[in-house]
Amino acid sequence: MSEEKQQVSRRQFLNYTLTGVGGFMAAGLLISPIRMAIDPVLKPSSVGDYANVGLAVEDITTEPTRVDWKIDQVDGWYESEVSKAAWVFKNEDDEIMALSPTCTHLGCVVSWEGSEKYPNEFFCPCHDGRYYKDGTNIEGTPPTRPLDRFEHKVENGMLYLGNAQERGGA
Amino acid sequence: MRWVKDDIQTYKKGKEYFDTVIVPVIPFHLSQDAELDKSTSLSEVMNILAHEIEKELSGRVLLIPGYHYIKQSDKEEEVKRINSWVEDIQKQPFNHIFFLTFDPSWKKYERELEGNLLWLPGIQSDNIHSDEMHSMIRNQVAQIGELIRSYW
Ligand code: FES
Repeated sequence: MSEEKQQVSRRQFLNYTLTGVGGFMAAGLLISPIRMAIDPVLKPSSVGDYANVGLAVEDITTEPTRVDWKIDQVDGWYESEVSKAAWVFKNEDDEIMALSPTCTHLGCVVSWEGSEKYPNEFFCPCHDGRYYKDGTNIEGTPPTRPLDRFEHKVENGMLYLGNAQERGGA
Repeated sequence: MRWVKDDIQTYKKGKEYFDTVIVPVIPFHLSQDAELDKSTSLSEVMNILAHEIEKELSGRVLLIPGYHYIKQSDKEEEVKRINSWVEDIQKQPFNHIFFLTFDPSWKKYERELEGNLLWLPGIQSDNIHSDEMHSMIRNQVAQIGELIRSYW
């Protein structure tokens, strides 16, 4: 008899704790979006950081060159190394341009002179999206705004890139 | 796009732009101790490869969850099962389906598969985070991307 009684209470106990855990988890789910928005600890650590992309400024020419680098990113659940890329060159005003290779249509990776048919342009292989050298989207092709441009700075002759900034549509 | 909600929402808004599906095809087993290291390392590399290819071509390609199967299982049966995935996928208008695998035993059944088999020789590595591995993967991604584009 007493054994049975014990089992019942044990089951009850488990039930209570499990409900407790479930309730706690549900609360966590409800709270988390707000928490992510306000808790600085959960924000990406690399915001505003500039990364050395391993390119000496004196090596930058008027011909767009692809540079690749990695940053640490905290993305909600995962902390990971994210690879980044940019097309870097000097424009007519001798200004450094670092354009994001992400097509503003649906996000494929564009290449400088990626199609033989279109010299002197950036080309997206997915739906033949095209951009002029300064990143402006070419009307009549799917992209609706120019390629994003990275913030940059120069330190000790090396190029540092920051965040990519959206630019207005053409 | 990947099999996550945000990406799928983008896909749904622009379905007419997506005509290609990539299916990583990955064996699983726990039965052969001697093979475990190799199998898990290949599986990791396959996932990285698939993700990198998706990144290159994300506006036209849908990367769906991997097709997993027991390594020693009967391939005739697996062919039927994988083709049933294709049947479901083709409820949407996809023109190209690519199966990506390191497992050469699929090669024999290539013609029965309702999609293109891209068999790649396995990349062996002690450390998938090494620079060597990175450049090898980047190289592979570029080549596979080019191959996929040649079907477009
Ligand atoms: S994703 Fe570049 S043109 Fe569509």
